[in-house]
Amino acid sequence: MRKSRRQIRDIAISSATGIAAAIMSFACLPALAQSQAIPAQQIEFFEKKVRPLLNDNCFKCHSAARKPVMGGLCLDTRAALLKGGDRGPSLLPGHPEKSLLITAIGYRDPKMQMPPRGRLKDDQIGVLTEWIRMGAPWPAGRPQATAGQPAKATFDLQARRAAHWAWRPVRRSPVPSVKNRAWPHNAIDYFLLAKLEADGLQPGQPADKLTLLRRVNYDLIGLPPTPSEIDAFLKDGSPDAYRKVVDRLLASPHYGERWARHWLDLVRYAETDGHEFDFDKPGVFRYRDYVIRAFNDDVPYNQFVKEQVAGDLLPYPRLHPTEKFNESVIGTGFWWLGEGKHSPVDITQDQRDTIDNQMDVFGKAFLGLTIGCAKCHDHKFDAISAKDYYALTGYLKSSRYNLANIDSPSHNRPIITELEKVGDQLAAMHSGPYPGKPRIIPGSAEVFEDFKKPGFEGWSVTGDAFGPGPRATAIAVKEKDGKAVIQRLATSDAADSGWCSYNLQGSLRSRTFTIDKPYVLFHLAGSGGAKVNLIIDGFQRIRYPIYGGLEIAPKDDSQMKWQAMEVSKWIGHEAYVEFLDLGPGRITCDLIAFSSSKEPHTEPFIGCVVLTSRFDGTSALASLLQKSNELKAKLVEPTRVLGLADGTGENDRVHLRGSHNTLGDEVPRRFLEACAGTNQPLVSGAGSGRLELAERMTSPSDTLLGRVLVNRLWQHHFGEGIVRSVDDFGVMGQPPTHPELLDWLASEFVRQGGSIKQMHRLMVMSSAYQMSSRANSVADRADPANKLLHRMPVRRLEAEAIRDAILAVSGRLDRTLFGPSVMPYLTQFMEGRGKPETSGPLDGAGRRSIYVGVRRNFLVPMFLAFDYPVPATCMGRRSVSNVPAQALTLMNNPFVIQQAEVWAKRINADKSRTAVQQIEDVYLTAFGRPPAPKETAAALRFLESQRKQYAGDELKPWADLSHVLFNVKEFIFVN
Amino acid sequence: MHCNRFLPRPMSRREMLAKCANGFGAVALASLVGEAAYGAVPATQRPNDPTTRLNPLAPSTPHFKPRAKSVIFLFMDGGPSQVDTFDPKPRLAAENGQPIKAKVQPTQFDNIGNVLKSPWEFRQYGQSGIPVSDLFPNVAQCVDDLAIIRSMVAEHSEHTNANYFIHSGHGMQGKPSMGAWATYGLGSECQDLPGFVVLNSGLIPPGGQDCFTNGFLPASYQGSMFRNGEYPIADLKRSEATPEVQQAKLDLMRRLDRDTLARTAGDDKVESAIANYELAFRMQAAVPDLMDMRGESEATKKLYGLDQKQTEIFGNQCLVARKLVERGVRFIELLCPKVGGDRWDQHGDLKSGHENNAVAVDKPIAGLLKDLKSRGLLDSTLVIWAGEFGRTPMAQGTNGRDHNPYGFTIWMAGGGVKGGTIYGATDDYGYYAVENKVNIHDLHATMLHLLGMDHKRLTYRFSGRDMRLTDVYGEIVTGIVA
Repeated sequence: MRKSRRQIRDIAISSATGIAAAIMSFACLPALAQSQAIPAQQIEFFEKKVRPLLNDNCFKCHSAARKPVMGGLCLDTRAALLKGGDRGPSLLPGHPEKSLLITAIGYRDPKMQMPPRGRLKDDQIGVLTEWIRMGAPWPAGRPQATAGQPAKATFDLQARRAAHWAWRPVRRSPVPSVKNRAWPHNAIDYFLLAKLEADGLQPGQPADKLTLLRRVNYDLIGLPPTPSEIDAFLKDGSPDAYRKVVDRLLASPHYGERWARHWLDLVRYAETDGHEFDFDKPGVFRYRDYVIRAFNDDVPYNQFVKEQVAGDLLPYPRLHPTEKFNESVIGTGFWWLGEGKHSPVDITQDQRDTIDNQMDVFGKAFLGLTIGCAKCHDHKFDAISAKDYYALTGYLKSSRYNLANIDSPSHNRPIITELEKVGDQLAAMHSGPYPGKPRIIPGSAEVFEDFKKPGFEGWSVTGDAFGPGPRATAIAVKEKDGKAVIQRLATSDAADSGWCSYNLQGSLRSRTFTIDKPYVLFHLAGSGGAKVNLIIDGFQRIRYPIYGGLEIAPKDDSQMKWQAMEVSKWIGHEAYVEFLDLGPGRITCDLIAFSSSKEPHTEPFIGCVVLTSRFDGTSALASLLQKSNELKAKLVEPTRVLGLADGTGENDRVHLRGSHNTLGDEVPRRFLEACAGTNQPLVSGAGSGRLELAERMTSPSDTLLGRVLVNRLWQHHFGEGIVRSVDDFGVMGQPPTHPELLDWLASEFVRQGGSIKQMHRLMVMSSAYQMSSRANSVADRADPANKLLHRMPVRRLEAEAIRDAILAVSGRLDRTLFGPSVMPYLTQFMEGRGKPETSGPLDGAGRRSIYVGVRRNFLVPMFLAFDYPVPATCMGRRSVSNVPAQALTLMNNPFVIQQAEVWAKRINADKSRTAVQQIEDVYLTAFGRPPAPKETAAALRFLESQRKQYAGDELKPWADLSHVLFNVKEFIFVN
Repeated sequence: MHCNRFLPRPMSRREMLAKCANGFGAVALASLVGEAAYGAVPATQRPNDPTTRLNPLAPSTPHFKPRAKSVIFLFMDGGPSQVDTFDPKPRLAAENGQPIKAKVQPTQFDNIGNVLKSPWEFRQYGQSGIPVSDLFPNVAQCVDDLAIIRSMVAEHSEHTNANYFIHSGHGMQGKPSMGAWATYGLGSECQDLPGFVVLNSGLIPPGGQDCFTNGFLPASYQGSMFRNGEYPIADLKRSEATPEVQQAKLDLMRRLDRDTLARTAGDDKVESAIANYELAFRMQAAVPDLMDMRGESEATKKLYGLDQKQTEIFGNQCLVARKLVERGVRFIELLCPKVGGDRWDQHGDLKSGHENNAVAVDKPIAGLLKDLKSRGLLDSTLVIWAGEFGRTPMAQGTNGRDHNPYGFTIWMAGGGVKGGTIYGATDDYGYYAVENKVNIHDLHATMLHLLGMDHKRLTYRFSGRDMRLTDVYGEIVTGIVA
């Protein structure tokens, strides 16, 4: 039985006050035994007033007959009432004021109001109050079908684990034997053919060379082959001509762009928060670039996964090969790509919503599991308990939002060392008095931090701004009227982001604590936008109206002052202090205290010391200052990325029915029991333990990670996954059509060191991939859904590939890689709060679609028309729908029209070619094949007739032809 | 029930085509490979399963006899104040300017003032004698057709979450809007317009386009937002200078499409994409016709307030809504008009702001109700008037009201609704719903019920669950059903 803390306390109080009778009846008296002693008038009172009242208002949800019983609470027997539900006993006989039932029906707790549809009338509440005061007499007779708790469906994790294929170890079966030995090219083909042959079917004919070239181009790089590539391939008669194409495409930087976009679908990638004002997320495009590079560099998949889960904690982060910045930490940006709320009224709910989305995406993207379904209850079908869910959420509660500096330290670090020396020399020149630190009169406030421990013990530091620990005094030197004003702000024990230079950036974060006083006081100084935040329940978006008071950006760096944050609203919430200096500013703090009043009571002290000296250009002081300035000018501004940092390690508690208002047991942080067993070691160390989680997820015994990934690759190459529900490998998903093949691929993936490119190679080199998409009527009748893959499917291009193809074909494509996104073109039909003030260019500056900004509330209409996913959750399989907006877009959208004109100009630029030759080029460019003679003839006729319409204009007929070809279905379908 | 055991996939379109020997031309539209195409229960168990329809917008048989065929949702974005419209509270006048004697919940702006009496008088109207404030003198004339729910509760105090919630039953981005669900469940009676139309009068609710998203449902059920004017949707207007130029291009395209189809041996996806263009052409003609008011009588135009500047925008949209109902469009949502100020979100200057908003919609809404009724359409059209939450009975600052999801008023009228009804109640301040509370899931369940659908059976398989508009909640508000 679970009890909330409050109920346990209530019971303890009642025990302590020695209400013996109550305790007796609570603990000992069985319901039936009690009835013998009930006076007649009490029986009458119960039967006439109490039972009908309970029956009319409560039993619909809270009786043994109701399945499932709401809140685990039955109210139809006395024993059941005494036992209570998820929140503990419902009543304490004799003590209505301590009975949860009365609290609930009295609507005294806004989080627990029963009956939910409306408060009972006062006299009805009076009846139940009186009844409990009587001792809650409940006569025998008319027993309910089952007393007490109804039997709950048992959740047996191990039995479920044993029963479902996805939890079983990956088994590499031998490649099956087949009759048609000529067909298979590699193992994939043997597995597929064996099944086809078992059904008496044969695989389809090989696709012709040009169909194959176009197919593999779109699949691997998302762009059509160029006429010269087509020509080269046609001319290459060698047996490995196709392999050479595959190698070339896999080596192309555009490969990463194509496959990164598939990955971004899994992690609900967007560059803004959405919600009311669609604020920008800082520097998110770097995550997109990181994914592109990871695919291009063929980073082993386990490494890629570890980086996203715990890239900030890797002992040896992966560095960019030439620029040497930290790649690994960028991966953790994945956690923060979801929707972000503006000024939530219920901050705890906001934290839960964020974490729930993170868990949902984490489970589906990496593991193909609907972990999110275990938020409110043990999973209804899969071997995932609610405890598993909250064991995982603990990792996130223990982690924090961070803007991580990814730069190689090799540039700034030596300069900082030099600056430090100069600073010491400056300090030595003025070793005069130190200012005092306020001494708080005991009892007036409680000191949280005085920075007396070396090395910021108990705090976490990022960047260089705060240096290695609390500092001997920061010295600020300013020139004023020919004199140097030298200032010392604080005692030697201060956190100071100006310790070395105002130009350095960084953060300093405290341990997590529970707010228990109405004010948090900071003794500080600063300028330039550097600030201190109070992060409550992980809430980062500190903004007006509710949260403006949780941020102090001091405006005066010449004087230490007390500044207060009023936090009475958040007493009982968890919080941490965050000093942030992300620009040319400084913040200095030497004392933090919790207090009941806004002004602390302190003994007198000196807040700052100012010294002046003659500013003589030749003095030692001047030369030191000059040296300092030269050094500062060399510092490079850091590159920051959105990501995770470790916080104070803490476990989460089970949230009954998913609500943060009803907390159950604490669960130690660990991975899913079905994956990593029931004896997982506890998190070691003070941090989140995410690195251990990442290790467990990628352990060799894992059964899901590899299967899920190879299945995703398969889907993108063959149209459908071997497991068609690519994000759900659970019981509710689809079983694999070819389980042995899936396992063979998963094991091969491990053998190849998690090389995704090797898996592509295997798949696209198979005979299966090289089949034609034309249906063979026998096979089509026997296998209409093509589950046995008797032919390649015809597939429609995705939104981005359609736009990229238009740009590639028109010649407008700008093949630049990486960088900040291009602002989307904003039409008059895109309206709402947070709409950017200026639109991007109509053609997106010719950049590939992956570089068009993903603004959550202003998604590109052309993309949406072609099933671009709303970035809300993991979307491994886009729907492919058919809406008139698609036809309208291709027929009338100004971008499409514009590109048809661009293309026409390009075609016409070369005057040396005949119309027939031009039509041939056009066909090769658009469809990857030369035109049939009748197509050439039709095009010529069309050009001729349009010329008449346009009174001889040369360009317009070609623009019309180009536009028609964009609209021919062949353009957006791949055979 | 949600979380059903997985069952085998229904017949694919290809199988269906093979079996029915249906060819090109017989199929208007199709959703190609939505997850439901393999995830739903077999057609034999759910004969009207929308996921097995060849044409996702084809009308399908409801679960039981519907009371309404179309829905018009008048979305009062921003949160109109219940105590200033349909829920009179004398205690506010009695305690005006005094601190409120009730537990005060955290609010969006955290600027709690004293009790603020309503600046408007209430009068009783109609046979039912239901009181309506002076903000809605015209709607008040129709009060005997309204079922007023005074005990609504929502779950969010922030616009965006509350907007997502009232639209999709979920407080975050990405779940299908109720219009998408209704269209998914029933298709549309109109084959040359979208089944779910949102009429934009200039104010887009926070949360934006995602309030009307199809979410995980196929894009066929996406809300199409129409602006005022001849070409209310993007890319509708013919891009060619003359019809002849367009015709020549279309001729060539059709010819080349036939070749494409032949090259893929009649692949059904290609075939559907070709058919899709035909719908687009029909829309190109149907939409301007819809927006053209020349066929309406002067009396009708006047009824909707088209002759007055303040009511022209919303009056026009209400009239378009009626025309959409006549054409058989399933779900029509109207957004608030931009008439100078903000939507119903009066954190300050309640009096002028609410007045401004009410004037802009009062006459048009009354006109719509009267017009639908006189044409015999009200019986088969469900009209819902609702904001995402209500407002506080105490002031924000001195003369505004903050958000209040704990008790507010909405009303319904038309198909299956018991007119002249007051349902539920708030406390004496109009702050908390205390009697017959109705939550958003109940509203959705009731709406689907009136459309002839069981909200527990209208499901779509997505990521391992049979999703519902009402999630695992929802009870039909029988008290307002006729």
